[in-house]
Amino acid sequence: MIDSRQASSALAEIEEIGARVRQSLFYRRTSAMLILWGALTFVGYLISFWMPAQSRYAWIVVMVLGLCGSVAIGIVTARRQGVNNFSHRILAAFLIFIAFGLIWSVGLGQLGARQLGTFWTSYFMLPYILLGLWLGWAFVAIGAAVMTLTFIGYFYSGDWFALWMAFVNGIGLIIGGLWMRRN
Amino acid sequence: MVQFDDIIHQPLRLKIMAALNALPKGKGLEFSHLKKLTGATDGNLGAHIETLSKANYVAVTKTFVGKKPQTTVAATTTGRGAFGKHVASLRQIIEGES
Repeated sequence: MIDSRQASSALAEIEEIGARVRQSLFYRRTSAMLILWGALTFVGYLISFWMPAQSRYAWIVVMVLGLCGSVAIGIVTARRQGVNNFSHRILAAFLIFIAFGLIWSVGLGQLGARQLGTFWTSYFMLPYILLGLWLGWAFVAIGAAVMTLTFIGYFYSGDWFALWMAFVNGIGLIIGGLWMRRN
Repeated sequence: MVQFDDIIHQPLRLKIMAALNALPKGKGLEFSHLKKLTGATDGNLGAHIETLSKANYVAVTKTFVGKKPQTTVAATTTGRGAFGKHVASLRQIIEGES
């Protein structure tokens, strides 16, 4: 038989490993989405760099593929892991987030291509950092790294901004996703 | 009455059962994933899974992903029940002494 101190320690261990399992499953689910968005934004920025006249259309395609792909990944992985984490509130929050970004970047802000790229990347990284405080430090690290490199690129990359962003945002997210999968 | 489970209480087996019980019913973890979560060695983890399997607390499934063998471990209904009772007994011990 064991005493209450050992029993408390065993319960704490159970709680801790349960939390690690849930976090690890969450990392697996979201890492595929990160890799998808990384690949799409990489292509989007390459098109912006090589064919700036086509970039507007390229980014519409990137957004549509990204959203549809994310929903598909969410459904498939949730089914595989046996969890149903779809929430109308999350979907509504995402739509409000996008609408707010559009109002400021396209409506009120009248931002140029360079500012738009910087705004959307840093805007998307902000919830990564904030939610990471609850969901896991990987999100904080990825969000902060991509955001910092984006600001550096905005000020110092000159005419190479789109190419810089292809690697920082695109490859950065892919590496982040692969790292989360390993962990 | 405290129903203390000696099979589950061993530290590594407790970690294995805790990890598997955190999953939805019927879902399992790959051996390599379980190894990373518990911090155990291959041999040690394998031996304790064997003990849990003999008690019918876990089910082991071996499949092939391409040419790579993959071992998946899942808690059985018996195992989930036993784990639930074990957790309840731990709580009883704490409450009994407080």
